[in-house]
Amino acid sequence: MSLPSPPAAPPTVLVVDDEPVARVSLTACLKRLGYRVLEAGDGPAGLALLRRERPDLTILDWMMPAMDGPTFCEQVRCDPAVNSSQILMMTGHDQPEQIAEGLARGADDFLSKAASHQELTARVQAGLRAATLIRTLEQATEEIRHKQEVLERELASAARYVESLLPVSGPVLPGVQLVHAYRPALTLGGDLFNIVPWGEHVLGLYLLDASGHGVSPALRSASLATFLRRESLLHQVGSTDPGVILTAANQQFPLTEDGNYFTIIFARLDLRSQTLAYTTAGHQGAFLHRRSGEVSWLTSPNLPLGFVASNTYHTVELPVTPGDRLFLLSDGLYEVPAPSGELWGRARLEATIRALDRRPLTEVISRTIDAATRWLGHDRFPDDVAVMGLELTA
Amino acid sequence: MPDDPIFNLEAALDRVEHDRETVQLMVEVFLVHGPTDLAATQAALAAQDAVALSRAAHRLKGALLQLCAPAALAVATRLEAVGNAGDLQAAVDVCATLERELRRLWAALREVLHKGRAA
Repeated sequence: MSLPSPPAAPPTVLVVDDEPVARVSLTACLKRLGYRVLEAGDGPAGLALLRRERPDLTILDWMMPAMDGPTFCEQVRCDPAVNSSQILMMTGHDQPEQIAEGLARGADDFLSKAASHQELTARVQAGLRAATLIRTLEQATEEIRHKQEVLERELASAARYVESLLPVSGPVLPGVQLVHAYRPALTLGGDLFNIVPWGEHVLGLYLLDASGHGVSPALRSASLATFLRRESLLHQVGSTDPGVILTAANQQFPLTEDGNYFTIIFARLDLRSQTLAYTTAGHQGAFLHRRSGEVSWLTSPNLPLGFVASNTYHTVELPVTPGDRLFLLSDGLYEVPAPSGELWGRARLEATIRALDRRPLTEVISRTIDAATRWLGHDRFPDDVAVMGLELTA
Repeated sequence: MPDDPIFNLEAALDRVEHDRETVQLMVEVFLVHGPTDLAATQAALAAQDAVALSRAAHRLKGALLQLCAPAALAVATRLEAVGNAGDLQAAVDVCATLERELRRLWAALREVLHKGRAA
């Protein structure tokens, strides 16, 4: 058996009037209507009571010493803690221009001092209805704000975890330097990249992009990244060949119920054979910037992961030489729209890289992102931006 | 007495839903504060302060409206108006009239209290 709920507290009405006879009359009427009544004999005392007690309705005299009614209203409207208070102004001023002034300065409604008991009752009830609606709205807003704070804290925590999965910039093999940049569009991004250490002279590396933005793609990316860890690949795939790896990943990660998928490039750098082997799955953002200045895009047209379970991904092999730089990047870097809507595009990206030529890799990556930002017109990229640069210095 | 221009008890009771205790309290409060408010109008007039005069008259007006004392209310309303107009010369006579009306009202209120008609 459920316990009966306690009776609701009666609404509180604050009466602010310097004239005691009118205050006695009004207070008695309000008490007969069942309200809790607070009284103040001037504006400053009324304001202090309003801030302390947050009454549901304030009935206010216009003309008072120290602080008149309209000034009282202005003070209330300027105070974020109480600015939604309902104020019913009582006055002998019943000229339209005076009523307009009172409303403009913050009163919610007016009542003539000569009004009948019936009119007073009706106005007070209307004011209390409005106050109830406003309180309900304020409580709902506060609840949403609180939930939003909790969610943002959780997102920030998850984002820190995702960033902890990223590799550390610096030497990754003898004579091979890694530099990267990561700018998720939201707190959490669907782009992820990493290296897979396979030996003293061999490493794997990948950059993947889960379709969509936010929590779901970030979780799916983390799941694929777990599959692509060294131990997992050796155990579940048993090969370092990029094509074999992506063929296995394609079977492990089918399209989601919502039709979400991955694009990815997976590469293997072998310093002994001076080769770069790679496979792409719907990913177009990768190129070699040769020491000679030539730029070769790494494209091998193939479906993103998850579309056709029986698909086989083939490996392409290229020679590499010291001084070459490998860039893996997400399309969020070059598919950025100018305010006109025109995309920056791979051609402008390539021209930027060529112009920066042999500048230090860190500078090339940061200045390329700067160029994309200038094209965009602001620094909030609409899509995740991930760039991984590898330089063969030996 | 119904429609009494000095103090209309029935109308005053009507305004508070025939709550006699409230009317008695209003009368008692006015008998204390009314003389102070009248003194404030006289002090403002003596000081030739039209703004203070208007404010004091306005305050009296508020009480007289609630008490349903039409004669004194009309004079207080006139005094507020001449105060607002800054016509201190005209205010002299109006202030004197107001004092006369208030003294008649206070007598009527005391009689009501004495006879227990409000309670």
